[in-house]
Amino acid sequence: MKAQDILDLKSKAIEECHNAGSSEELEAIRIKFLGRNGLLQEIMKGLKGAEPSERPAMGRAANELKQELGANIGSCRDLLGAAKSGGKKRVAFDYTLPGRWHGRGARHPISAVIEDAVRIFASLGFTVADGPDIETEYYNFDALNTPADHPSRDTQDTFWLESGELLRTQTSPVQIRVMEQQKPPVRIIAPGRCYRRDTTDATHSANFHQIEGLYVDENVSMADLKGDITYFARKMMGPEVKVRFRPHFFPFTEPSVEYDFSCHVCKGAGCRVCKNSGWIEISGAGMVHPRVFGFVGYDSEKTTGYAFGMGVERIAMIKYGINDIRLLYDNDIRFLEQLSS
Amino acid sequence: MKVPINWLKEYVQIDCSAGELSERLTFSGLEVEGIEHYGSGLNGIASAVILSVEPHPSAEGFLVCGVYDGRRELSVVCGARNVKVGDSVAFAGIGTVLPGGRRIEQVEIQGVESEGMLCAEDELGLSDDHSGVMILPEDTPAGTPLPQMIGPPEPVLNIEVTPNRADCLSMIGIAREIAALLGKPLRLPEVRLDETAYPIEDAASVRIEDAEACPRYTARLVSGIKLAASPPWMRRRLFECGIRPINNAVDITNYVMLECGQPLHAFDMACLKDGGIVVRRAKEGEMITTLDGAARSLTPAMLVIADARTPVALAGVMGGASSGISGSTGTILLESACFKPAVVRKASKLTGLSSESSRRFEHGIDMENVEWASRRAAALLTSFAGGHVARGVIDLFAARPQRKKIICRFGRVRKLLGLKIPGDRVMDIFRSLDLDVSESNKSYCLVNVPSFRLDLENEADLIEEVARIHGLDKIPGSASRCTVVPDADDALSRAVALCRSHLCGLGLTEIMNYSFVSDTLLDMFASGNAQGRVILPRPISAEHSVLRNSLLPQMGDTLRRNCSRQTEKAALFEMGRVFFKDEKGLIEEERLCIGLMGPVGRSGLDRRGAPSEEELFLWLKGIFESLCHSLGLKGDPLGFSSGCSRIVFSATDRKTPARQLFPAACLEKDRSVFILFDGQPVGIMGLLKQSIRDEWRLRMPVALVELTTGSILQEAFTTRSAAKLPMYPSVRRDVAMVVSENVTHESVLEAMRKIAPKELTSIDLFDIYYSKDLGMSCKGMAYSLEYRSLDRTLTDDEVNELHAAIKAGIKTELEVEIREG
Repeated sequence: MKAQDILDLKSKAIEECHNAGSSEELEAIRIKFLGRNGLLQEIMKGLKGAEPSERPAMGRAANELKQELGANIGSCRDLLGAAKSGGKKRVAFDYTLPGRWHGRGARHPISAVIEDAVRIFASLGFTVADGPDIETEYYNFDALNTPADHPSRDTQDTFWLESGELLRTQTSPVQIRVMEQQKPPVRIIAPGRCYRRDTTDATHSANFHQIEGLYVDENVSMADLKGDITYFARKMMGPEVKVRFRPHFFPFTEPSVEYDFSCHVCKGAGCRVCKNSGWIEISGAGMVHPRVFGFVGYDSEKTTGYAFGMGVERIAMIKYGINDIRLLYDNDIRFLEQLSS
Repeated sequence: MKVPINWLKEYVQIDCSAGELSERLTFSGLEVEGIEHYGSGLNGIASAVILSVEPHPSAEGFLVCGVYDGRRELSVVCGARNVKVGDSVAFAGIGTVLPGGRRIEQVEIQGVESEGMLCAEDELGLSDDHSGVMILPEDTPAGTPLPQMIGPPEPVLNIEVTPNRADCLSMIGIAREIAALLGKPLRLPEVRLDETAYPIEDAASVRIEDAEACPRYTARLVSGIKLAASPPWMRRRLFECGIRPINNAVDITNYVMLECGQPLHAFDMACLKDGGIVVRRAKEGEMITTLDGAARSLTPAMLVIADARTPVALAGVMGGASSGISGSTGTILLESACFKPAVVRKASKLTGLSSESSRRFEHGIDMENVEWASRRAAALLTSFAGGHVARGVIDLFAARPQRKKIICRFGRVRKLLGLKIPGDRVMDIFRSLDLDVSESNKSYCLVNVPSFRLDLENEADLIEEVARIHGLDKIPGSASRCTVVPDADDALSRAVALCRSHLCGLGLTEIMNYSFVSDTLLDMFASGNAQGRVILPRPISAEHSVLRNSLLPQMGDTLRRNCSRQTEKAALFEMGRVFFKDEKGLIEEERLCIGLMGPVGRSGLDRRGAPSEEELFLWLKGIFESLCHSLGLKGDPLGFSSGCSRIVFSATDRKTPARQLFPAACLEKDRSVFILFDGQPVGIMGLLKQSIRDEWRLRMPVALVELTTGSILQEAFTTRSAAKLPMYPSVRRDVAMVVSENVTHESVLEAMRKIAPKELTSIDLFDIYYSKDLGMSCKGMAYSLEYRSLDRTLTDDEVNELHAAIKAGIKTELEVEIREG
């Protein structure tokens, strides 16, 4: 057998398959030529005994037979199938019907902001740390350089428990807990719930979330704080966001600052969201107070560090355009599903 | 704090606009929250004289006043009661627009026409006072425009002073900041006192019993006081600062307090028995009636000023009514003292009384300034109240505090701020703030902290002064860089995020409820665990009075709320903390809760009709299984009904420790299970009790699961190793059986597992059917079993033999009829 014989066989087979009147006939043709004991197998066996010079051409021809015949059988089968169903009642197929899936799910906007913040800071090497909601006076106030009679305790009204413990008013106690457990460098972010005796209204909630950040090492400076907060702002709110810093006071940082993001709605031109100032106040930060280092046994000569806190609800409200903080805790499915992503 | 710019100009030259000044102050740490223009928008408002006052014939509480506005007589209906014939009042005629934007129209009030309005101070934006109509000085001619009397509008800054900056609770303090910012000198008022009367020791004495609580007390005597209204400029400044002028003597004490931050008090000398003053702790049971008219009982925690008999002032908080300035006052004992912040704070808390004075003492005052303030006030009393000052001053100053000396290293400034700043600039900043630099070289300087800067205690505090005066905007933001902390790990937090994204992917929506709940809601779900609850002693409301000890009650409540808003189908989850107490103390625990309601999980066309209880439970169980799978708790191929061999479901009626941890009582008893993980109770799952559904009108069944997540998240990121895939084909054989309705899938699995040969590699339930032919209370179950050997192809005969053995085994274990065929 020569290569040409194989090609002739191919033409014959293709012709046969176009003449087939039913899928059974077509199947018979497939078995005859391509089946386990079919003609193609025989040709392949014959290759071994063929002239070495003939072999490559024969091999190519055999392959051609296999490919082309296979494709022709496929298309003839489709044609036969279509003809068949055209004769009988067609099974309905409506691709416009609703798809089948579970329904949509959504992260809560507060979780979404926390996860985004964690991801952004993780890219700077921060890992998540955690602390309890029920705190001691020591971690929430004393070790944060807020002595009992300090006026700054006035600014946050605390939920005290019968046990003498309290519901933490800030995530800052996590700073102390982490520094007690490890030596520098420290690079943590601590999201969590906090509680203050605020009467609930459109912008206040007695139960709220903060994200604490702490970076302690040799040579951490305010320039690093500014750089990292700005990096975060751009990743969180968009690349055009600007950040400004204002001096402020917190007992556990010195110097202390507050920082604002430029309003992402009006791009700083002034609008209702930013009360025409072009800026939205976000939260506080500063360089860790040397006394705080004293409480955790760090050498404040050798190490410096920055800390920041930010209100999660505030960022969520700004980012998603939510005008009432209570919506975040009302859990109306219609509200939550709008924000699914 | 309200700060009139004009007043500041007395101490420092300000040649920038109010807006610019605000910006500079805000970016140096004194945040200007707003600029008000005092006395603006008063055009059209003028004085009028009251000619007659009659009660309104029908509207109770209203008066009908005849007034003369300088041109004609008008009739005005007025709600205030403080007017009498002859008074000069602030009047707005028809068409006038008040500062708030309100336009005065002619109105009829129950049959009486009102041709204008008599205005209260708050309506004119002059103060917060709405107690009555603004009464003008007696001799004001009718028709005098109010702007002419008040003076032109002036900007007043509203400044938020942070708690550390006690020195900025005064005009001079703020002027000092401005002087530093603008590079101008600070000018303090010169005080010249003519002491013309007798020596003070002849008439008065002071004794301090508790020098720790009162480190300094000064007294001056001013006699010959003629009470009158203060000069207009002083009245205006007090108004601008939100303080009501009263009379020259009282106004002067307030004025000096606003000026320099030192609270002062004026006693009527005639009312002090024996002219002697004692600063002492109050005795138990002592009483004082304070200037606001309230009688207050005192305790030894409070410091008082007393005469020979009784307390005459609550130290630093408020004076007593009996010794206050009155029309008959001729001689004043002027107190200027320093009280310990904690003592004043305590007294203020205990009495619930807070004043401009107590606020300043609580923040701490400048001890060195006590006598200056007294001198300043005495001089003003001489000038504006006709007083004659007794010679000398009583000044008890037990221990003059040492001035702090702080070294500031320029290298440290640069390191902490990340800013290249020369040492000379650092020292200039200090000097501009009146911080005395006594020593310096190339690498450091020594700062002597003045007594008014109580907040400066260490080098970092000084560095903050540099940062805020130099300008935070001049500190460059470093390019962020990633720094790795070796061994830091937050796998648990990532596992939580994994749970969240998995559940969202399954179509569940995350909710977040308060950590506070009401007792009522907890009782509804589990009345048995009340003693373990953590109560808030001072809740904001009863709705939020207990810390939640389970996520289920609020999940149920959330479903109810959504149902009442026409949502009949919901798949929700919450991850959060719960709180309870036991013998060891307060415990908080991370939990996950899932709630399903209605035909969830079904797609579009199948949503009609409520799901059966079993269907809904199995949806929930499926979500749970899928979650376990994603957390690395994989199914056993021989099929445990829980989906994983380490997780066991057990009936809730069994006594298990989980009963106390989870509110099992809220679930239907025979429609719920405890979940055990490695033998430990970790949760409950089941259908919400019918009685709760009825009460909340939940038409659709509700399925709930609550889990303690601590242990099940542990293996989320365990690396697993790949097993070799089988090389030989498997063979499937089915087994169909008829069993009693109450035979469970688990018991069939159990029977098969008992005798399973190693070649049995999987068991799949593929059908459950009910039919009349099977008989009442029976069901058909069909399983597909897979057989495979790892080292050869099994023959038909071998498989048949294995399969027959399994069938026989089922028969011995269960009452079952195996269907052949």
